[in-house]
Amino acid sequence: MATMSCVLEGNRVKAFGKAIHALSRIGEELWLDPMVKGLALRSVNSAHSAYTCFLFSPMFFQHYSLGSGSEQGSATIKCKLLMKSVLPLFRGLNSIERNVERSQISISTPSDRVTIQFFCRHGITKTHNLHFQESEALQAEFASHLCPNVLKAPARLLGDMVMHFPVFQEEITLSMMPLSVSFRNYCEAGNDHMKMMYTEMSLHPDEFDYFQVGVDSDITFCLKELRGFLSFAESHSLPVSVHFGATGNPVRFYIKDMVLEATVVLATLMDSEKRGPSQPIGPPNPTSPRCADAAALPAVSYEADGSKPQDIPAVTELITSSQGSPIINPPALMQLLSPVDDPDRLGVSDEACPSATTTPASTMICSLLFRALSSEQDDDGCAARLPVLACHSDAEEDMEEDYRRSPSL
Amino acid sequence: MPLSTQSQADDEQYVLVASLDNARNLSNILKAITFKDHAIFNATPNGLKVTVEDSKCLQANAFIQAEIFQEFTIKEDLVGFQVNLTVLLDCLNIFGGSSVPGVSTALRMCYGGYGFPLTLFLEEGGVVTVCKINTQEPDEPIDFEFCSTNVTNKVILQSESLKEPFSELDMTSEVLQITMSPSQPYFRLSTFGNSGNAHYDYPKDSDMMELFQCTKTQTNRYKMSLLKPSTKALALSCKVSVRTDSRGFLSLQYLVRNDDGQICFVEYYCCPDEEVE
Repeated sequence: MATMSCVLEGNRVKAFGKAIHALSRIGEELWLDPMVKGLALRSVNSAHSAYTCFLFSPMFFQHYSLGSGSEQGSATIKCKLLMKSVLPLFRGLNSIERNVERSQISISTPSDRVTIQFFCRHGITKTHNLHFQESEALQAEFASHLCPNVLKAPARLLGDMVMHFPVFQEEITLSMMPLSVSFRNYCEAGNDHMKMMYTEMSLHPDEFDYFQVGVDSDITFCLKELRGFLSFAESHSLPVSVHFGATGNPVRFYIKDMVLEATVVLATLMDSEKRGPSQPIGPPNPTSPRCADAAALPAVSYEADGSKPQDIPAVTELITSSQGSPIINPPALMQLLSPVDDPDRLGVSDEACPSATTTPASTMICSLLFRALSSEQDDDGCAARLPVLACHSDAEEDMEEDYRRSPSL
Repeated sequence: MPLSTQSQADDEQYVLVASLDNARNLSNILKAITFKDHAIFNATPNGLKVTVEDSKCLQANAFIQAEIFQEFTIKEDLVGFQVNLTVLLDCLNIFGGSSVPGVSTALRMCYGGYGFPLTLFLEEGGVVTVCKINTQEPDEPIDFEFCSTNVTNKVILQSESLKEPFSELDMTSEVLQITMSPSQPYFRLSTFGNSGNAHYDYPKDSDMMELFQCTKTQTNRYKMSLLKPSTKALALSCKVSVRTDSRGFLSLQYLVRNDDGQICFVEYYCCPDEEVE
């Protein structure tokens, strides 16, 4: 039997609740992973194209303990909860701030329960016992220190930028060039260009706390999934680090302070050729890729190399499927996850990815993608080379796109 | 005011005339019991009692004393009728129901007796509307036989402390369980929903607890669908008394202050779903 028990005080409860809000923007399930280094909360969206993790160090809590009643010794519980069971408990953040003096969260495997207790003003106690499912750990591996492009900016700066995009704007494109960074909204092909409002903002490198451009790139990712994270970062006044590479590679947003750190990894669209009106508007692609259909999170297993740029936190977490796709053969998965220096192991031919630019760093990355593929595409030659961990049904017309959207690198 | 210029002769025909300078003093309290379309009105010289029932297991009553009304004239000892409460509320709010300070809808409610419609004269800003609502023969309200001598447990809480828990009750739970006891947990509300269970505990020495008189540990369950409507009454109230009797029947009594600071009462009676020891 494994247990965990932690106590949060006052305004830490509100911060915890705010993290849950950010996590709820991503996925419908919440993974709780109590570890020695802290309590990790994770979520991933159904297409596996967005992942987020909030790690609260033991110092965040007034009290944090892992029970060690397990026979396996250091086995810990990994539990999965439905977001709709947890979110209502933390929905009223203002009310939590006003009323909750202390909160206790404990996990107990014998009863498969997570107990969240709020000790409120006037002696009132609220106790919630939630059922959980034991689950595989959900983690995403992302070697930040390999990313050629790095930005670091106060959350406020990024918040101010995204504020200009309407709430319904799903995707935005971040373009990085040696002398500027721009954000613009991503327009789906087929929309009437005359009715669209294009928004583009540029920032000078000086506006960033850290600016490193290794490769010119445009990355298009889902803004919706980032908003909750940015809101959290702003409320804690933390600088946000952004790591990314060439078009089509995932982007990672990261914040850290003394007691917590949080990450969002988003897949980016492969073909980000769409630009604003500054470019001649040719015949639009019949089906423009959308983030939800995009090749999903890469799990990058990579052995760290010696040279790390300053300020870039090393991130190595291992991605495993939380869903257990029937397509992937586990031994094959393990093969791909072992450190690889041989680019040929990538299993992707160049003609499959005409738009991918390769950089020295990226050729060393062994990338394993959660492909958004429908099961009919199993026979697809490209798919046979690609280990697919999760199924996702795509529209028929996207099949062509899917073929081209093989993992790059 | 146009309403008051009605001649006395007209009033001869009515067995009940009740006037309010501010119709909200009636409509707000009626909203607290509007979970069914039909309501039974019973008027006595003491005032007005409006009753709404649900499936013979739940009864809500709103009491508006005669003193609340600017005019309350009744020609018989008991005047009773049944009307569609939703329609009545729509009429009371016919001028839009927006609360601009200083502007209110004045009401003159008249009833001619058996077979006559309920006539409402509503005036705001010089505009008068007359509404006639069909009445039916009143049903007999259920007598839950809840008497104070049979009460085993009673608490009075400040509504503030219950408002939030009530509004966030897990609606996937079919029942609301109420535990009252002279020992821990003293007063507990529990739900059993799809994701798990939840308990809200109020200690007897909480400063939100105005009165705590529990003689015996009792746990009773009530259908959530029956009790959830009481949230409206709770939202309006400043205090609530919770009583259970030896059979497990529940009485909730809410103290409501109207716009003018006058006190009215709303009460809910509910049968237990099942006995839980």
